[in-house]
Amino acid sequence: MTEIVTPGERLALSAEYDAGTGTCVKDTFICATLVGIKRVLPAGQAEAEQRPRVEVVRSGVEPVVPRAGDTVTARVVRINPRLAAVDILCVGPKPVQQRYSGVIRVQDVRATEIDKVKIEASFRPGDVVRAEVLSLGDARSYHLTTAQNQLGVVYARSAAGVPMVPLSWQEMQCPTTKAVENRKVAKLDA
Amino acid sequence: MPAAEYVSPEGLRLDGRRPKELRQLRAELGVLSSATGSALFEMGNTKVLAAVFGPKPVEQRSQEDEKRAIIKCEYAMATFSTGERRRRGKADRRATEITMAIRNTLEQTILTELLPRSQIDIYVQVLQADGGTRCACINAACLAVAAAAIPMRDLVASCAAGYLESTPLLDLNYLEDSGGGPDVAVAIHPNYDNRVVLLQQDNRLAIETFEQVLELAVAGCRAVSGFMRERLQEHTQALAAAQDAGEQDDVGGGDGEDDDDDVMGVDDF
Amino acid sequence: MLQSRSFVKKTKKGKVLKVVREHYLRDDIYSGTPLDRECPPDCYKLSGEAAHYLLVDTNVVLHQMDLLEHPAVCDVIVTSVVLEEVKARNASVYQRLRQLIASDTKRFFVFANEHHRETYVTAEPGESPNDRNDRAIRVAADWYTKRLPARKLILLTDDAENRRKAGELGVQALGSAAYTRQRATEQPELQDLVAAAVAARGEDEQQQQQEDGGSAAAGAAVGGGSGAGKHKERGRSAKRQRVYEDHRPMSDITAGIKAGRYHQGALRVNRFNSFEGWVGSESVGADILVSGRIDMNRAMEGDIVAVELLPEDQWRGPSNKLPAGAAAGGDAAAAADGDEEAEPAPEGAHIAQVDPGEHYGEDAAAAGGAAAKRPTAKVVGIIRRNWRTRGYCGSLQPPKAGAAGGSANHTTSLLFCPVERRFPYIRIQTRQASTLAHQRLVVAIDSWEADSLYPCGHYVRSLGPIGDKDTETEVLLIENDINTSPFTAAVHACVPPLPWAVSEADLSDPNRADLRHLCVCSVDPPGCRDIDDALHVRHLPGGNLELGVHIADVTHFLHPATAMDDEASARATTVYLVQRRIDMLPKPLTEDICSLRADVERLAFSVIWEVTPDAEILSSRFTKSVIRSRAALTYAEAQSRIDDPRLTDDISTNLRSLNALARVLRRKRTQRGALSLASPEVKFEIDTETHDPLDVGMYQVREANQMVEEMMLLANCTVAKFTLRHFPACAMLRRHPVPPPRQFEPLLRAAAAAGVSIDPSSSKTLAESLDRAVRADDPYFNKLIRIMATRCMTQAVYLSSGEVSAPEYHHYGLAAPLYTHFTSPIRRYADVLVHRVLMAALGLRPLPESLRDRELMHGVVDNLNTRHRNAQMAGRASVELHTLIFFRSRQVVADARVTKVRANGLIVFVPKYGIEGPVYLDDDAAANGGADGGGKKKKSAAAAAADSAYVYDEEKQTVRSKDGGAHYTVFDKCAVRICVEEATGNRRQLVLRLVPRGELPASEQMN
Repeated sequence: MTEIVTPGERLALSAEYDAGTGTCVKDTFICATLVGIKRVLPAGQAEAEQRPRVEVVRSGVEPVVPRAGDTVTARVVRINPRLAAVDILCVGPKPVQQRYSGVIRVQDVRATEIDKVKIEASFRPGDVVRAEVLSLGDARSYHLTTAQNQLGVVYARSAAGVPMVPLSWQEMQCPTTKAVENRKVAKLDA
Repeated sequence: MPAAEYVSPEGLRLDGRRPKELRQLRAELGVLSSATGSALFEMGNTKVLAAVFGPKPVEQRSQEDEKRAIIKCEYAMATFSTGERRRRGKADRRATEITMAIRNTLEQTILTELLPRSQIDIYVQVLQADGGTRCACINAACLAVAAAAIPMRDLVASCAAGYLESTPLLDLNYLEDSGGGPDVAVAIHPNYDNRVVLLQQDNRLAIETFEQVLELAVAGCRAVSGFMRERLQEHTQALAAAQDAGEQDDVGGGDGEDDDDDVMGVDDF
Repeated sequence: MLQSRSFVKKTKKGKVLKVVREHYLRDDIYSGTPLDRECPPDCYKLSGEAAHYLLVDTNVVLHQMDLLEHPAVCDVIVTSVVLEEVKARNASVYQRLRQLIASDTKRFFVFANEHHRETYVTAEPGESPNDRNDRAIRVAADWYTKRLPARKLILLTDDAENRRKAGELGVQALGSAAYTRQRATEQPELQDLVAAAVAARGEDEQQQQQEDGGSAAAGAAVGGGSGAGKHKERGRSAKRQRVYEDHRPMSDITAGIKAGRYHQGALRVNRFNSFEGWVGSESVGADILVSGRIDMNRAMEGDIVAVELLPEDQWRGPSNKLPAGAAAGGDAAAAADGDEEAEPAPEGAHIAQVDPGEHYGEDAAAAGGAAAKRPTAKVVGIIRRNWRTRGYCGSLQPPKAGAAGGSANHTTSLLFCPVERRFPYIRIQTRQASTLAHQRLVVAIDSWEADSLYPCGHYVRSLGPIGDKDTETEVLLIENDINTSPFTAAVHACVPPLPWAVSEADLSDPNRADLRHLCVCSVDPPGCRDIDDALHVRHLPGGNLELGVHIADVTHFLHPATAMDDEASARATTVYLVQRRIDMLPKPLTEDICSLRADVERLAFSVIWEVTPDAEILSSRFTKSVIRSRAALTYAEAQSRIDDPRLTDDISTNLRSLNALARVLRRKRTQRGALSLASPEVKFEIDTETHDPLDVGMYQVREANQMVEEMMLLANCTVAKFTLRHFPACAMLRRHPVPPPRQFEPLLRAAAAAGVSIDPSSSKTLAESLDRAVRADDPYFNKLIRIMATRCMTQAVYLSSGEVSAPEYHHYGLAAPLYTHFTSPIRRYADVLVHRVLMAALGLRPLPESLRDRELMHGVVDNLNTRHRNAQMAGRASVELHTLIFFRSRQVVADARVTKVRANGLIVFVPKYGIEGPVYLDDDAAANGGADGGGKKKKSAAAAAADSAYVYDEEKQTVRSKDGGAHYTVFDKCAVRICVEEATGNRRQLVLRLVPRGELPASEQMN
């Protein structure tokens, strides 16, 4: 049976449980911060999961705000030699409600040979990129980075408008025209 | 001197309530599809609509707060809300005061530190005014925030109580409100030992009576919070049911953005 | 369940609004009777044993209140719709209904039908609000009938249509007349209580209703309703005649007033003649005379009337004769009207205790010159009636010989003669003529139609046998609107429980000084139990003295906005009658908790001065305190302690110091121009068993009285100054306006005739000239002239300082720029207010909001002044009553002084008994007066004088018999025989007759 809780409701003792999403610790209790269904996840093996975790899952939408360290999915909106400006679409698996803009500066594109990076050889407007939030950045946008193997372009269309297939970590090819374009391609786990 | 008798010796008020009774409460959530969260809240004839937008990036960069979300609030009374058509500017003192009250109350309620560098807009519109508008506004705003799934410390419930003819009266309507007696508006966090987050008072009141009135108002808040909780649960249940149905639809359909991950499935080097 | 109620309302600005209010219907409203199983016991109000329940409609409540108030009418259901309608239509009836509902014995239950789920009705389209409300009442009656099949429910309504519709529902409905008739055998009185006018309508309906039945009851109704005997027939013939002009329609009056054709004002009726009065009108500037029955056109004392000025050649002046003549003159019109039933001319002037300022109105008018014409007007409409809801006291005129009505249980129409002569006779219908003949009654007025000589009223209740002391006391209390009902439980709940003692908390209060070490004592009249003031004095190092006045700290117990405060504010003052005290505060407070009794610790509010031995005030301060009075002395005891130099105890020496200070203070005050006036007060020696007066004598004023008075004056003045400084807009003051110069005319004329000059140009000159007005051979002369001066004074009044400008705060009599009442909070509410203001000024407590509310305070102050006056009147009336009782069993020849000379008689004053009244020079004068009036034309004063054997000289204030044998002038000594005679209207009254001075026994002689 599902138990719907409302903000402020006490869910469990903070000494016995970990506070999951949708909850907060108030004095000795874990309390709900959202309206939603209370769930208890059993304790796992990992260091961080020694105690069972209680969380409130919302069946509806949930506001998502990118934080440093989050992996986000973003769409490139424009590029210039110094950076690629992106709109953040998802934080982890959750889509954001509002438009949050971010930038991938030229020095954040890849971990090696930073000085040789050319933005136009890494991203094109319209690409969907997986990136990590570096910091809250300046006043205007989040700073993102793709300087990891699993980060980078995950989806791009060729000049012909066809989704391209990655060839290597630096190239993608259009399946129709066979044209090869340069990208910082993400290495996705199978 | 047939002065209005606010409480008959038989213990009934002008509208038939007893002194410690609330008016009829009604609430509807998610009434505006364009807003992140919205709620319509009624206390008797007082009817208030609240809409919440956000969290979203801060519009005016200079106001951005690195540590927490900023809350913007706009309160307005519809020109038709009182019987007499009177234009009430947004900037009149009463409106400014109520705006402040709502914002203050919600700032203490929303876990703003979880949503840094974002902005939450709360719009409250009084559609029909019959006393106790500020309390209804806070209640409506609270429901709308909850509906927007913005994390909150606690629900916030508000209710007023007054003191007329030596009787503490709960939830004054307009007629009673214009009786000239003191009026204590309170908002509490019901799960937080009834912590009082707002207390406003019109008119003077002896300290002993004040305690009585405050106690009554807090009791009223508790009743309101109970009602709000019920409504939220019902709403969530309904939403969950609708979403279950919706998800089944999604399997067949699907749209661009949601397809992103599918596309990524085409990934092999 | 929610029912929204909406209605259309028009705002002040003329906008039309739709107003929507919520209206909740409930399930938890019960029937209020133990017969209903669902009704929880705490709702029981109706008795389970009642023979039937009554459910009343609005009109029954509005018009038959006296019936409902009768003890035999109980177990009544009042629906909230009725309550609302009554509240909207008549506030005073509403108050009375509320009292009935509050009473435990009457068992009136309020059924909130408007909020009951099953009895709420919504207006049908086209249904008027009245019809809707009537239907709501029927629905409620139906609900009760169905709910309680075991108990009969009667819907009491005088509306035949309503009864018919109720019948259709199966609800039993009766008119009030029919209902009382049903209960006639068990409670014959009830029938009289049915308001006459409405009853008549009820009877008609009843006849209609019972036409086909043709029952015996209907016969009785016909007999009762259409009036038995000639009496009523005469009434009918009068109907054809139409006695009075119709009142103009309201719209006409409003327009007339605007146009200046009519003038609006309150009517003040001559104290002795109900058909002569004055209308104070701002639009004319002077008082307008309304004289004669026809011109009065049914207006009564206190009514707000619209009058139209008569052409100047018809202007009249009031008579300069003894009131007998004036009264008869007023009646002339009636007599001329040919009505054989014209009331007998009220005989002679009332013998009254002397009351300052009271006689002024008539006297001054008369003094203005006999023939001086005054603007004269006739009443064209009555804007607001001032009929008393509490009713009028009086008695029945014995029926004329030959009039029917001897047999019991037959309606007779009788004239009722009010005790107060300002009011006309009232016609009432009664079936108890024989039992009521010798009773004092209370009667209420229902209506006064243009075709009826007298107003119609109905019997309310009987107070007891005429002449009985308790009955007559009751009469004077009712006449002066004094609330004698016991305090309610809510009020008693505000009183701390007895035995009460000063608590530790009070003692440790930093704002409360501990003055228990001081040698405080109180001085009051003997038998005084509500001691509100006490005094102390002590020598300070350095030769100065510390003087303290300690006043009971009533406000420590009496808090604003409590039931007790509301009650005290309404009562405003304690009323002292000869043998009775009607308290303003509940007895435990009055006599114990607040009273500064000897040898107990009490809370006080103290004023403490440092004074030089010459009574120069160096400093003053106020503090709450705890005191312990060393002794509660009477004036006599205090005086003997002062006078006996052998006593050297603390109290006695202190009293002597106080007295010395008081003398200096008094001297200073007199130098400032304070008046020392005199009013003859009498005191009674009362038989402890019969409570009848054994002896009457002048009240002796001792120096000790003056000593206490002086200290109180000082305290009052000091407080007035202090509070006004702190709260210029809401201090409570007492002012005594400067009397207008013409008010002194009677005094000046009398003094001039006696060869004494009085200078009233200021209080100082007046005081000095009064001091000079002495006759070596006549020690009482000065006192007499002071008594007359007292009568020229205006009434001192309370005011809230925000009401008038500073120069008007002046107290004329005391020659003080500021004065207030601070020293008797137990018995005067004004003092309570002053205490509160003073507390606020000292920062002890915040000023109650109510004191800042100007409008509210205006009402409070008005009430204080009215109640104060009423209390004085009642006190005097009580003295009069006891004087009357005293003389009932004896005839006395007493020393008297002439205070006024009139064409046909003298007004004499008997110092020993404090009574003043007319004597007629020839014993027939009174009768003559009546006969004169009965004539076609009122004779001029001169003509009347010519008829008699006396010659009147107004200038010299003398009257001489033509043969020169008798000669009277003002201030003359004379002797009168005092006896009690029966007069018309069951007024037993004192009669004074001149006797030769030789008959005066030595014991009665004044030195």
